[in-house]
Amino acid sequence: MKWIPRKSVLPFLLAGLLTTGLLAKPEAALAHKVSLFAWVENDTVHTISKFSGGKKVVKGRLVVFGPTGTKLLEGVTDDQGEFAFKVPQKTDLRLELIAGTGHKGHWQVPLEEITGGLEINTAAAAGPTRQVPVATDRSDNITADRLEAAIEKVLDRKLKPVMKMLAEAKQPGPSLTEILGGIGYIIGLVGIAAYFKSRQKK
Amino acid sequence: MHISEGVLSAPVLASGAALAAAGTAVGLKKLDYDKIANVGMLSAAFFVAALIHVPLGPASVHLIFNGLVGTLLGWTAFPAILVALILQAMLFQFGGITTLGVNTIIMALPAVLGYYLFGRLIAIWPGKSMLAGFICGFGAVLLSALLLGLTLVLTGESFSIIAKLVVLANVPVMIIEGIVTAFCIGFLKKVRPEMLPFSTTFSPDNST
Repeated sequence: MKWIPRKSVLPFLLAGLLTTGLLAKPEAALAHKVSLFAWVENDTVHTISKFSGGKKVVKGRLVVFGPTGTKLLEGVTDDQGEFAFKVPQKTDLRLELIAGTGHKGHWQVPLEEITGGLEINTAAAAGPTRQVPVATDRSDNITADRLEAAIEKVLDRKLKPVMKMLAEAKQPGPSLTEILGGIGYIIGLVGIAAYFKSRQKK
Repeated sequence: MHISEGVLSAPVLASGAALAAAGTAVGLKKLDYDKIANVGMLSAAFFVAALIHVPLGPASVHLIFNGLVGTLLGWTAFPAILVALILQAMLFQFGGITTLGVNTIIMALPAVLGYYLFGRLIAIWPGKSMLAGFICGFGAVLLSALLLGLTLVLTGESFSIIAKLVVLANVPVMIIEGIVTAFCIGFLKKVRPEMLPFSTTFSPDNST
């Protein structure tokens, strides 16, 4: 075991680094992972993109694909990492964010979310895509559809901050457990390697 | 500097994986009993370094420490970095499993190159080991940024734009790592000179 004293300096260096790493957590912990969060409001899909840790993806390219992989549209995120677009078609949508220098994130918008949003719109406009009995008596009665549309609209507005909060919460940095777990793995691997190499030595 | 899944083309991923496997094989071959503790500690250092984010410059960048890892480990930097990258991919979702080979090459190849190119400086300039250390740290990150640019170009992006983006974004990291590596090397030079590359005093058999 004569190799231990010679390496006795490194543990100090490592300990320093580890502490810095842990102290830098969780706000500043940021590295190469981009996340994308999207939600539907009426007929518009809103997206927020950021790097893990909180830095917004400014001027990232956001591409929208249909279910068969056809490109429907693309856009560029603004200073807040946000980008919004009108629903191009009533199918599942796959959003892909190309944040540059090898970073990529994606998000699926399921069909239910889109139709949910569109119904409000069509109901409000009494559009042809939905077989809603359009209110025949428009004098003073508020029809159930119009009431529903109005409520949905208010809910959308009220829920917007909540959706944003959800978007934030969806993107946590690595936790202490994960960091310590990783270091534990490395120590274990060192043990395994030392075991096999020491057997070779004999 | 971790490339995400689905960015690179299959040939680039495959050649990255093959090169990384070869590098790791060489590293494991050179890994002797006396070096295991070193490799493990530097692997752990590399693993946590990516969590330290540098809030300067236009993009999202973090420390890498491949210069320090390479200078102290040589070829054994390959297994050290591969293990740390696997754990980062699994636990932090940095990079990805398919891009593991390419990411290993991007970070470990400059580490090994740094060992041979700049590590020698530490031995040649005995009085200027800190300067040599700075060059090791700075140069390894610069080489990594260029390699990252190259892999993206092989997948079809324009080199001049990408190279500018990646290199510029990582300039603060290069400087910080240069300084940290300089201090580490300067410190080791005083207390444990046998740990430094091409050190004449190094010999696993008779060192204490």
